[in-house]
Amino acid sequence: MNYRKFIIYQGTIGMAASMIFPFYVLLLKNVGSSYAQFGWAYGLFALTAALSYPVIGKFADQAGDKVLLIIYSWGMALILLVFPLAYEIWHIYVLQIFMGLLGAVQKNSEKTVLARSVNKETAGNEIGRYHIWTSIGAAIAVIATGYLVDFLTIGSIFYIASIVFAWSGFYMMKMEKPLV
Amino acid sequence: MIIIYTVIFAGSLILFQTQLASPVVEDRGRLLPVKMKSVKSSDSEDEIKNIVREANLHDDKISIAGMQHSQGGQTLYPGGIMLDVKQYNKILELDEKNQLITVQSGVTWAEIQSYINPYGLALKVSQSQNIFTVGGSISVNVHGRDIRNHTLIETVESFRLLNAQGKVLNVSRDENSELFGLVNGGYGLFGVILDVTLHLTEDELYQVKTQSISYDEYSTYFTKNVLQKENVKMHLARISVPPDSFLTEMYVTDYSTADDQSLLGNYTTLKRESIIAIPKFFLGLSRTNEWGEKMFWNTQKEYSERINGTYISRNNVMRSDSLFMDYNNASKTEVLQEYFVPINQYTAYIDDLRDTIKDEEDFNLLNITVRYVGKNEEAVMSYANDDMFALVMLINQGTSEESIDTTGRVIRNMIDVTLKHDGTYYLPYYHYPTKEQLIEAYPRSEEFFEMKEKYDPDERFMNLFYEEYHK
Repeated sequence: MNYRKFIIYQGTIGMAASMIFPFYVLLLKNVGSSYAQFGWAYGLFALTAALSYPVIGKFADQAGDKVLLIIYSWGMALILLVFPLAYEIWHIYVLQIFMGLLGAVQKNSEKTVLARSVNKETAGNEIGRYHIWTSIGAAIAVIATGYLVDFLTIGSIFYIASIVFAWSGFYMMKMEKPLV
Repeated sequence: MIIIYTVIFAGSLILFQTQLASPVVEDRGRLLPVKMKSVKSSDSEDEIKNIVREANLHDDKISIAGMQHSQGGQTLYPGGIMLDVKQYNKILELDEKNQLITVQSGVTWAEIQSYINPYGLALKVSQSQNIFTVGGSISVNVHGRDIRNHTLIETVESFRLLNAQGKVLNVSRDENSELFGLVNGGYGLFGVILDVTLHLTEDELYQVKTQSISYDEYSTYFTKNVLQKENVKMHLARISVPPDSFLTEMYVTDYSTADDQSLLGNYTTLKRESIIAIPKFFLGLSRTNEWGEKMFWNTQKEYSERINGTYISRNNVMRSDSLFMDYNNASKTEVLQEYFVPINQYTAYIDDLRDTIKDEEDFNLLNITVRYVGKNEEAVMSYANDDMFALVMLINQGTSEESIDTTGRVIRNMIDVTLKHDGTYYLPYYHYPTKEQLIEAYPRSEEFFEMKEKYDPDERFMNLFYEEYHK
């Protein structure tokens, strides 16, 4: 039962994340003025993620996946409120560092929950099915957001995504422990 | 939790709104970021009138913008309203018989070309690139490669002008004629150009001839082999900038009417921007060091040799690539300069120019093209006070204050040299020149500024160029 809720959660945050990830490149383009800065923005993201994985991993086993997912949801909900306000390249760099950290939290937790819940024998099938739903959610979100950006502005996307993340934060808080 | 989140959400939204309320706008030079009150655009004449009316009511300044490739804030004014005319871009009427076209001022040369090419018609004068709007081009009174039609003003039949009082005036050589010479080359200071009627000409097939020559043979070559040969219609030259051949080698490209015009049909497909990776790469190299400069010059020269003898339609000559020059660097930018010097002064001028800049280590000159523009003093701010060569320079510079100082000093020196040889300089660029230099190059500057006061006493139309030089 809880596993199904986890899939709903992952589907939702997957949607919210794919609302912003392809499009916030547009924002980076507005703020940054060179490809080198672009490279740095993404490099910092990856680097922070790399450095934080060991800590996150340990924490996941001690505190549990639920706490981490709540941190991720609320962290994203808040940081997305800062994005529309960024207008200097160093703002973007700082935000990318936080995004790297949160991204690592999500990636690691997604995998630990799956690892704790699936059967070794049928892992392929189960993880395959898990990906169907989260990917469909992501696909719908990307396409719909494309239209949204045309109608609204790039700024409004961040606000909408933030609300979705906030909702997912509540959803996760209400979930029973342990997750699986 | 929900309360905290809602408060932060609302806070962010309010901050975001206030940021949006005063957009920061830059022109292509990227040296003048300016905070405007707002950016407005429209495709309807009524709405544009409304914008001017409202501005009159609230005493707001308006700066008019097309593609914003001017680099001295001609399209910008702090706290003002930027009227972006790019959406006001319909083609209204084509009179095939009399070869006249009427367009809204936000239309680009490219859009006109696509429209008239099937009729076998072509533009008389435009820049070498076709990305610019008609209104912007009129406001800087451009010239191009055509050696028989000189400045754009020659090809303008008439236009309608929305003036500072919100009234629409017909302007031509017969009606409101004083404004004709003011708005052409008027940098958007006299009103919004609404629609324009331009003279066209027939599309023709040209044969390309290229040749390398030394800079001191150029004046004679040009007079004898280009100007005096009736079938040569367009011309472009380049002069070398790498240190080992600094301002000495040239190669010229002439476009002459092809003997067999029946072949034109094979060449009329309008070319699109080709793959630009190669020129972009070599231009990039030339920004970095001397060896790169040499490579860039050599590839340009080889390319020019390769196109010798080929055919091209007039419309295609007038749509040169420009994308490869796009430059994105956080701490550097590329600026343009253009100097006009009488044909007979050319050799001496180049010698002086070389002496002036050869030892300037921090001055990175990437490219110089040379065109011809015949005397035309119809515009009050006319740069073509004689039959002149026009040298367009592409300069790579930093955006720091120090870099601006260095480039400014070198440019002022170059302008002094130009003025010494009875030359002038082009006004759409960064405000490096002094007011004294402006007055020497444009003896009618004072008259221009007086006319501005007469036609627009409240300074409804404002930009940084006027602000810098009129007092």
